[in-house]
Amino acid sequence: MSYIVPIGPYHPALEEPIHAKLYTEGEVIKDAEVFVGYNHRGIEKLATERNAIQTLVLVERVCGICSHSHALTYAMCVEQINGIEVPKRGEYIRVITAELERLHSHFLWLGVACHIIGHDSMFMHIWDERELIMDLLEELSGNRVNYAMVTIGGARRDIDDELKAKLLKSLDKLKGPMDRIVEIALNDKTIALRTKGVGVLKKEDAVRIGAIGPHARASGVDVDVRRDSPYCSYGDFKFDVPVQESGDVFARVVIRALECYESIKIIEQALRNLPDTPINLGNKLLKIQKGSAVCRHEAPRGQLTQMVVGNGGFNNHRVSIHVPSYKNTPTIPFMLRGNSVADAGLIIASIDPCFSCLDR
Amino acid sequence: MQAYKRTDISKDQVVPIAEKMRKAGVGLVMIHGYLNEEGKMDISWDYAVEPVIESYHVVGEDTLPTISGIYDEAAAWPERELNEIYGTVFEGLDMSKRLFLPEEMLETQGKGHIMVTPLEELRAKNIKEG
Repeated sequence: MSYIVPIGPYHPALEEPIHAKLYTEGEVIKDAEVFVGYNHRGIEKLATERNAIQTLVLVERVCGICSHSHALTYAMCVEQINGIEVPKRGEYIRVITAELERLHSHFLWLGVACHIIGHDSMFMHIWDERELIMDLLEELSGNRVNYAMVTIGGARRDIDDELKAKLLKSLDKLKGPMDRIVEIALNDKTIALRTKGVGVLKKEDAVRIGAIGPHARASGVDVDVRRDSPYCSYGDFKFDVPVQESGDVFARVVIRALECYESIKIIEQALRNLPDTPINLGNKLLKIQKGSAVCRHEAPRGQLTQMVVGNGGFNNHRVSIHVPSYKNTPTIPFMLRGNSVADAGLIIASIDPCFSCLDR
Repeated sequence: MQAYKRTDISKDQVVPIAEKMRKAGVGLVMIHGYLNEEGKMDISWDYAVEPVIESYHVVGEDTLPTISGIYDEAAAWPERELNEIYGTVFEGLDMSKRLFLPEEMLETQGKGHIMVTPLEELRAKNIKEG
């Protein structure tokens, strides 16, 4: 018997609205389609009526999890158009915030993945440790989400010696529990049985559809903007880019777990070598000069691209935001084919989707 | 700072460049578009030739060839988006379904698209429709 099974836009296994239509033959999914656009807020349109500082606030609200990434990429675009050189210390603080954000985003996803496969004790362990990272972000920026750490020409808040020592100590404290979490994730039978061989995305499909970020790296595509096209002093730090070949949900768990270690490595290097320069160039409102810029940032979910066009006035002429989920969502039908209906929720969630980002 | 190289091309070169890039294994970053100050569409195909973004611009064309046959959804989604918000036509692309905006906002070519219409007009329309 063949049925069409609709999932979403509101569904317990989805944190955000997406609609998937599954064409099934018995238990097996033969084909699938995804529909997005349930969260469109017209942010790109609104940005054309805002000046640079207002837009920083606006783009930060595109997404709750990767809010720093949006503000950072927008600031990079404006700095490129206006030819602003950011002080080193400002760049380092931006990197520290970005990596803390990646840590908290990956912990969040690992927790959610464990929850979906029914491993709730693991979910609670992971989210317990995530609180430590949230506390660090709160200490650093004053906020748990929407950190407002970026301004045009640098960072908005400094890290003093006391906070630096505290951050380093807390990261050390995080390593023990992290080792335990990674060990369970890699060796636990419950997780392996529900994720190994599920939702496989082949390397050639990933390349053709343009998957990016941890999702692509789990399918053997070696891409990372931080390494390939360094920005924001990322060239100063030593870190590895983990790549897995199998392309199933298990590989995505492994990639995100391993990336947490790399983020800690980067934060530690940045904190230890914090340069002694000003953190920004002042908060004077500037005109966005004539010209355009395209900047990319490796957000927790992959490459975030923004284009900003200025026309010499205070307001943007055009801001165009394209998030990693924009590239990763079209891969969902390819992963669903041949899997059982019961795994559909897990497979959709395995790209770490962010549909409020995607719809803008 | 990330490098960005702009090249202006004509409409006929879009597909050959895409084919060349696909063959070389270069990823399509995005297809961007905006109305420039003279009111002409400036559409750019941005390729990640690491560490540089090579950006190929076509200015002042309302109808363009699709490269969704070469880059699949990586090109089809941005093309559908541009069709929705600016009304640019990509020949050979299935544009019958909406990607982001509601079906009611499907209006005649080049009119009433969200990025072209002034914000005040959109606001008034929203209030009227509740």
